[in-house]
Amino acid sequence: MSWPKLDRRKAALVASRDLRDAVSELRLVLAMVALTVAIPIGSAIGIRGLAYFGGGTAVVNRLSLVGAFFVVFIPASFSLVLALESFVGERERTTLEVLVSTPLREAEIYAGKVAAVLAVSLGLCYGGLIVYCLAVFTGLGYFPLDVLIALALATICQVAAMVAGAVIISLNARTMRAANVMASFIILPMSVVLQVEAALILLGRTEFLWVFSAVMIVLAAVLLRMGLDGFSREALLAREVGLRNPAKRASAAIRAAFANRPGLFRLVWLRRVPLLVAAAGLPVGAAAGYLAGVTGAIPAAAVQPTLSSLMNAAGSGSGIDQVLAIFGHNVLAFALVPLLALLTAGLSGFLLTFFPGFLLGYVAAESSWPTALGGIFPNGLVEIPAAIIAGGLAIQIGAAAIHMEASGGWTARVLAAAADYVRALRWLIPALAVAAILEVRLG
Amino acid sequence: MLEVEGLAKRYGDVLALRDLSVRVDEGACLVLLGRNGAGKTTALRCMAGVLAPSAGTVRVDGIDAATDPTGVRALVGLMPELPGLYERMSARAYLDYFGAIYGLEPGMRKKRIESLLELFELTDAGDRWLGTFSKGMRQKVALIRATLHRPRLVLADEPTSALDPDSARRAWAYLKDLQHEGCALVICTHSMEEAESLGEEIGMMSAGRALAVGDLAELRRQSGLPARKEVRELPTLQDIYLAIVGNHHELAEARSA
Repeated sequence: MSWPKLDRRKAALVASRDLRDAVSELRLVLAMVALTVAIPIGSAIGIRGLAYFGGGTAVVNRLSLVGAFFVVFIPASFSLVLALESFVGERERTTLEVLVSTPLREAEIYAGKVAAVLAVSLGLCYGGLIVYCLAVFTGLGYFPLDVLIALALATICQVAAMVAGAVIISLNARTMRAANVMASFIILPMSVVLQVEAALILLGRTEFLWVFSAVMIVLAAVLLRMGLDGFSREALLAREVGLRNPAKRASAAIRAAFANRPGLFRLVWLRRVPLLVAAAGLPVGAAAGYLAGVTGAIPAAAVQPTLSSLMNAAGSGSGIDQVLAIFGHNVLAFALVPLLALLTAGLSGFLLTFFPGFLLGYVAAESSWPTALGGIFPNGLVEIPAAIIAGGLAIQIGAAAIHMEASGGWTARVLAAAADYVRALRWLIPALAVAAILEVRLG
Repeated sequence: MLEVEGLAKRYGDVLALRDLSVRVDEGACLVLLGRNGAGKTTALRCMAGVLAPSAGTVRVDGIDAATDPTGVRALVGLMPELPGLYERMSARAYLDYFGAIYGLEPGMRKKRIESLLELFELTDAGDRWLGTFSKGMRQKVALIRATLHRPRLVLADEPTSALDPDSARRAWAYLKDLQHEGCALVICTHSMEEAESLGEEIGMMSAGRALAVGDLAELRRQSGLPARKEVRELPTLQDIYLAIVGNHHELAEARSA
């Protein structure tokens, strides 16, 4: 992954103008500063009050960390608004054509705009965090520097990921309203990310937060690169064309996506890389599950409910009922995976094989490998290849969703990947039916 | 200076421009006339190195816009139809920003900005936010911005459409001065007066293609219209307007002094 050359001085010019623009409206500045100061102080009062009235050291300490997370998150959300505005706002105000007609390179405009949004958002985040730390930890006798540093790093990456995602939306939206609606594609996955981060903070394990930060760094880098790849003057100025008959155009695009697609065997060959990734999910999952079981990193009490629910999914009715229950369960998984692939950059495709592998490994650790493998035989002979194909094609959907090209064509690529998945279901669904029958009759 | 050969531009299913071939020498001016949607703006964007041609070539001072669009953009000053000004910037700061983007030295930037603001009677308004400017003032700032870096080629889309007659004449005089300094001009307009005033060569476009390109005499010949005797003894409405408003302006200045 090579990054294009850019003149930093020119990128800084763009950034400083955008920065001045962002802080030129007094009401906006006042709102941002008030939130940055008021929220930390409000949180600090609550936590100090709890400590004063005997809330218990463990509770106060944990809560002080959650408060830090909360204080950092609110200003980070400003980045979304500013980043959404960055390109689509300029286009609406007709200033974009002037900017792109200058000798600035794409990378300079992009880097300048992203830097300006990051500077404002991170300034507010860290300003809030400093105010919070001064207000909460002074005299508390507890200062978890390692967790706070990990939180600060994770925040940079989170904000960068949100900004990069919002800039991609801003580049692809024609109006500010459309950009705001499309921002849901950032808010939904980010809400999951934030819940994970909050849970990790509550766990109080710094090493998990570092891993989380590393994942966010990769995500931010991928998204920033995507935004840069998708940034083209051509697309920004030419995308006005083709707004008529959206329904007709959409149906034509869907028809085109299904036209001239390869058959299943050729598709498997063409998509061998994502299929191999999906296939690797099973042994990787099994190894992870086995290690988790052997080391006790994940207690049996946490895995047991999932295993029980899977065992009980077949129900206790007649044979046909059991077949239908297992079949329905698997079809639902195969239907959800491609949808989630769009939001998770294909991760759901990998999890389709990783998760069963993990349970297999965990069961093996708790009992033995023959016992665990016996549980998936003979239905696994049909189910596992079907899951690998479905997982691989879902990874392809995710890859298409995060692949941007300056020449455009994102919709066509995602639709083509989705069409491949839908066409493959003609084979995969009967395979799942066969697997369900095998599981009930012979399993 | 500008060589356009077989230029075509397609947006999806729409062929916005087809087979356009023109040449504009150093210090020459080409005026493009045509209805809305004739392809004039698309032609300007391709010539400016902003849009890549679907077919054909654009060369500015020997640089191919397809292979080195950044190089082309550095030589060109594009003035789009809409001024596209940053509302919360003063005229001086705005012009300084674009001057810096084009790599002008700070001293040179300041000198040029002040002299052009004075030329277009914007010196006093130079520190006001552009959002408070009238349409005409905005267009003047856009013209200054497009020409601040002394481009070799100026591409202007209806550069005087929002200007009063006096300011329009001033703008034309300024463009002529640039021409005399060797700058090539391509102007899109709906104003026949502007076309006659500026255009040594006039291109007439329709449905994405150039129907005729040539000087006025050549176009007359191509149109096949018979010669018409025109005797103009009375001043035009524009002459009358400029005389009355100009006198009043001088009177007002004398009074305020």
